[in-house]
Amino acid sequence: MQADASAHWVPAAVSKDILDGTVIPAALPSGPIAVWRTATGKIHANGDRCPHRGMRLSHGFVRGESLSCIYHGWRFGKDGFCEHIPAHPNLVPPKSINCGPLPVSEQNGVVWVASVEPASAPKDFSGYDALRSLVFRATPEAIAASTQGLEIDGGLEVTLGDFPAVLLLTERTSHETFVIALISAGTNPPDRLEAAAALEALRRGAEATGLVEAQA
Amino acid sequence: MILYDYILSPSCYKVRLLASLLDVSLEIRPVDFHPGQEHKGKELLALNPAGSIPILVDGDMVLTESAAMLAYLAARHDTGWLAEPGAHATAQMQQWLAFSHRLTATLGGARLVEMLHAKGDLEALQAGGEAALRELESALFARRLLGQIFLVDDKITIADIACFPYVALAPDGSVSLDPYPSIRIWMRAIRAQPGFIEMPGIHRLHELAPDPLMQTEDVT
Amino acid sequence: MSGDAMRNAWYPVGLLSDLPSEGRASLLMGEEITVFGSTGGRPRVESGGRSLPVIERFGHLWTSLGSPERDLFTIPEADHAERKLVDVGVVRVKCSPLRAVENFLDIAHFPFVHTDILGHEDHPEVNNYKVEIRKDEDEVWATKVEFYQPQAAKSAGGGITTEYMYRVPAPTCSVLYKTCPPRPGEWDVICLFVQPLTEDLCDVWPWMALFDDDTSLTDLIHFQQLIFLQDRSILENQIPKRLPLDPAMETPTRADLTSVAYRRWLKRHNYTYGAQLVAE
Repeated sequence: MQADASAHWVPAAVSKDILDGTVIPAALPSGPIAVWRTATGKIHANGDRCPHRGMRLSHGFVRGESLSCIYHGWRFGKDGFCEHIPAHPNLVPPKSINCGPLPVSEQNGVVWVASVEPASAPKDFSGYDALRSLVFRATPEAIAASTQGLEIDGGLEVTLGDFPAVLLLTERTSHETFVIALISAGTNPPDRLEAAAALEALRRGAEATGLVEAQA
Repeated sequence: MILYDYILSPSCYKVRLLASLLDVSLEIRPVDFHPGQEHKGKELLALNPAGSIPILVDGDMVLTESAAMLAYLAARHDTGWLAEPGAHATAQMQQWLAFSHRLTATLGGARLVEMLHAKGDLEALQAGGEAALRELESALFARRLLGQIFLVDDKITIADIACFPYVALAPDGSVSLDPYPSIRIWMRAIRAQPGFIEMPGIHRLHELAPDPLMQTEDVT
Repeated sequence: MSGDAMRNAWYPVGLLSDLPSEGRASLLMGEEITVFGSTGGRPRVESGGRSLPVIERFGHLWTSLGSPERDLFTIPEADHAERKLVDVGVVRVKCSPLRAVENFLDIAHFPFVHTDILGHEDHPEVNNYKVEIRKDEDEVWATKVEFYQPQAAKSAGGGITTEYMYRVPAPTCSVLYKTCPPRPGEWDVICLFVQPLTEDLCDVWPWMALFDDDTSLTDLIHFQQLIFLQDRSILENQIPKRLPLDPAMETPTRADLTSVAYRRWLKRHNYTYGAQLVAE
């Protein structure tokens, strides 16, 4: 019996990248998602698709504790139910209209999302938090090969300049990987800047590796 | 001041946007850029032989570069939108104004090809645009580490206005903005400015308008 | 091939005022076509070595890959001598041609997508209107549509309640009739003619026939381009790309009656190029 592949946590975004009262686009292996934070800071995620006419919810806007679709202003609450349809202001929207909330958890400065509630919490990378996210135009294999990083449970151990780091890799397409870099939580801004520059150098190397392989 | 303007031109929008943020009114002279090609017609070529828009006319002065128009509006109405005095800030400002032209050429070029039937090497334009966006993301990430948002002097300046429209409209040329969280935060800060105006493809922040539902709630 | 029934319909492929004599390459339902301006002759369209039938109407050149059984539809109101006829100019959109038409039929989005122009959040309600599929013409019609608009047209002095009628005379064309501020009792006519390049790419050719003696042609063009480009940013971000014809996939409300009728009419006629029949 195959384990349910959708019941595991995916590192979808960096917590600091989602300000209060905003929504961003992200992705699970199963498809695009919208990740949003309410005005009071609570994090939520849904499939990136309004059930009305399929508009990407990540283009919408957050008011208070709800997410509104930018097309017709349909408003969704934390459980995914539609709270309000502006074209019919006196209608109580039927419970059948739901934008499909997904399990979400914030840990180590990362927003983790799953398709189906996993059995346990996301892995705790103790003492680490998120530096930033980047998209690499390379496969996870090319990244591992070019960084010569050590594969550990859930990530790739590398050094960014002088700083030990973990790269969380999520394959997006056949040639793109979404990468979140974790470094020691106490790292100060100038050191973070150095680590970020090293990460970009890593990316250049991994992307060149991928190119070489493609040309071979 | 007369602005020769096209509603769908991000370069014209830069000038309209800054004018609105400065609360300065412009006389708009609409140009039938598409489908009429009026910018290549006799009257406008006489004014601007480069055959481009926007064109800003103020008395005897005719400006044809959008960065110069932004600098002029700021110099005349609010020098706080220019760089602080000093070599470092001056250089930073010039760096970003020059960078904004790369955005116009690459992201703007891809947009014209994909949207308005222009001729061009789409893949090369998109690749150039992506490279520029990566550089911008990197710079804005560095600002965020210092608790800053804008490009120069930790305040909004014409550098931000010069770069904003073509970045915001990158998806028109099929260059996605999804991979750039720092750019998204920067764009939001610009859109939140008092006096911000839209152009098609660049929405206002609806969440800043009063919530109609809050207004109808009973007060107990 | 899906959408065979649509091969026999007429599609816009160029502006009569802007057809190069050396020919312009384009696509129609995935097939390469070349559109030629007239050099002393008539404009023509060629595809795969053969000449396609053509019609010149509404400022545009129309053609078909198949054998149309009927003439291209007419718009009698547009013949009035005092109307300004406005070629708005082509815009390419990365969406299904059917999605482009359906968006044009929708008014509930006005407060959010065309804020302060065609709608405002303070007046979002869509009242009941009438929708029918007219048997003789075989067209979808919506009438008695009303909406409060801060700036309904360049000719409108201020906010007004606008009345609309919507008409779908062909699978990728829509005609909108709306309150004409300078001439109460007349309708301004605004059209969207959509050329399906592929199932998820189209060229949209808007066209208008308006009563407006005061606004310049350029301002009228810009007003309509502004509105359409605001819609474009929605159209390129709808999932799935193809218009779902399976009712289980998307949830309409009473405000969506025109689009529901449009989807039903498309399905009935097997007009499915750019549509998705079942949930994938």
